[in-house]
Amino acid sequence: MAAVVEGIGLTKRFGTGDATVVAVDAVDIRIEESELVMIMGDSGCGKTTLISLLGCILTPDAGELRIDNAPIDLANEDLSVIRHEKIGFVFQLFHLLPYLTALENVMVAMDIAGTKPVEAENRSTELLAQVGLSDRLHHRPAQLSGGEKQRVSFARALANRPKIIFADEPTANLDSRQSDNLMNLIQELRQEHQTTIAIVTHHEGLKENADRVIQMKDGRIVTA
Amino acid sequence: MKTLFLKDMRYRRARVVLTALGIIVLISLILLLGGIMNGMRIQARQYVASTGADVWISAEGSGGAFIGFSMVVEEYMAFLNSAQGLAPDSASPLVFAQARPTVRGKSTKAIVVGYKLGKLGGPKHTIDGRMFTASNFEDYRPEDPVPYEVVIDEKMGLEIGQQITLGNEKVRVVGKAESRMFVLDTPLLFMDVRIAQKILFGNTPHVNMMIAKAGANQQPVQVAAGLDSLETIEARTLNQTLNDIIAYYVDEPMKAVQFLRVMLWVAAGILVGMITYVTMLEKTQEIGVLKAVGASDYYVMGLLLKQVVLISAVGVLLGFIFSYVFAAAAPIFVAINFVESIIVACISFIVCCGSGYLAARKAIEVDPMIAFRGEI
Repeated sequence: MAAVVEGIGLTKRFGTGDATVVAVDAVDIRIEESELVMIMGDSGCGKTTLISLLGCILTPDAGELRIDNAPIDLANEDLSVIRHEKIGFVFQLFHLLPYLTALENVMVAMDIAGTKPVEAENRSTELLAQVGLSDRLHHRPAQLSGGEKQRVSFARALANRPKIIFADEPTANLDSRQSDNLMNLIQELRQEHQTTIAIVTHHEGLKENADRVIQMKDGRIVTA
Repeated sequence: MKTLFLKDMRYRRARVVLTALGIIVLISLILLLGGIMNGMRIQARQYVASTGADVWISAEGSGGAFIGFSMVVEEYMAFLNSAQGLAPDSASPLVFAQARPTVRGKSTKAIVVGYKLGKLGGPKHTIDGRMFTASNFEDYRPEDPVPYEVVIDEKMGLEIGQQITLGNEKVRVVGKAESRMFVLDTPLLFMDVRIAQKILFGNTPHVNMMIAKAGANQQPVQVAAGLDSLETIEARTLNQTLNDIIAYYVDEPMKAVQFLRVMLWVAAGILVGMITYVTMLEKTQEIGVLKAVGASDYYVMGLLLKQVVLISAVGVLLGFIFSYVFAAAAPIFVAINFVESIIVACISFIVCCGSGYLAARKAIEVDPMIAFRGEI
């Protein structure tokens, strides 16, 4: 199977001198098309840093990155273009813009990518229907429950038809029922959109949903 | 989404309104202060220019007709009336002195202008009532003066027949002249030069200055230079006198106001920059999220700048409009120069946008990694 994202020798350090912390230490990782991968490990083991490197949010100190079989020139390429064309993000705290409705929060991702407003509105409406929020299109984040916000977040992540979605602890702020519902939804969306999904979590119960679990410790992958 | 920045502004409307209000107040103040100075210049000019005099003669060492203390003896009249370069018999004595008349029991500011009726120095006719009774200047007898009468500025709010107290004397209003307020809306009280001398100078036959017309085909500059070379008097042309008066009454005392105007500009710029920056700090997480989901620096900058430009434009425009409203309601004469106010508004807009741009440029340095931490 083709790799959607591939990191070779990815290394990221924070701080200087004696205070230097190696958050990701020479990690080789390959995530294949349509895979649902769980990246697990203790707090501070480098999970979020790793998906930030893979999602072109952070620049590695060493290593190579390939997305959709193309090497990324981290020094010269406009990473914002890669982020809105090939990557979707779901954050632990949802991070919906408080002044926009659910519909507009999804549309904004397409606006960033330069999609025409009518097309963006149609697709956003469709995506929100797929995540079960047809009746919440014009609600602001403050009017939505945690689970609903995370659904909007997934719809936003899917908006630009990304090659891969990185979700950082998407169930951390949800109760167990909302958490189960979200995982079911993720499975449905994955089937529907054939999207590769990488989820960072320390929630052991989610393991069963994954095609593969990547276990990290001290910035290194211990099980892949 | 073209309206994304508007939705954000609506969400933060309290801050937007306060910022715009701050700009409105500052721009209004900048324009009003300019208008006050401009009004003072106009008022300083209008009386002097209305006299029709070409040459202004004051005492040696006075620094000019309206500047320092000047007392000139009347004997110069005869000399000036036949002086080379001046129009024959055009010289006119002039008392021009600040006074505190009591009007309706209230002490108020005014300038007494004593001149020879029909000569240079004051109105030749009234717009209401009549001119004051003229004394026989050349055959003046202090023990037998003409009635104490005054022609007032039409805007003084007094009626004909009312009395005002000047020193220890009661002076009757007999006419109203077209408004020619002096600097800072100081009304002019026109009266016979002899009455002015009696009330203000205790009947001494001095005047503050003499004014005259240049003779036919004579250049006032040369005539004034010729008279100025005499040891006991100073002579200035109309333009020199206007420059002196504006420098003395407006520009010098208003230096602090000019400085204040510049400070207000700086304040307007700092206000917009500071509020933009504080707003950006509050939006750091949002900016980080936008960047994380693929927004370019250009996109984020565009969002921020649209807000800065809109707030600055609305603030400056309303400040511009309100300055005219405040000017109309001001208790003193404010003459906002339209062209100058457009230039000031444009500069203010650039200052506000510039400072907002600097704050926005700082804001786009936000690391998208921030999206993985904290709440919006």
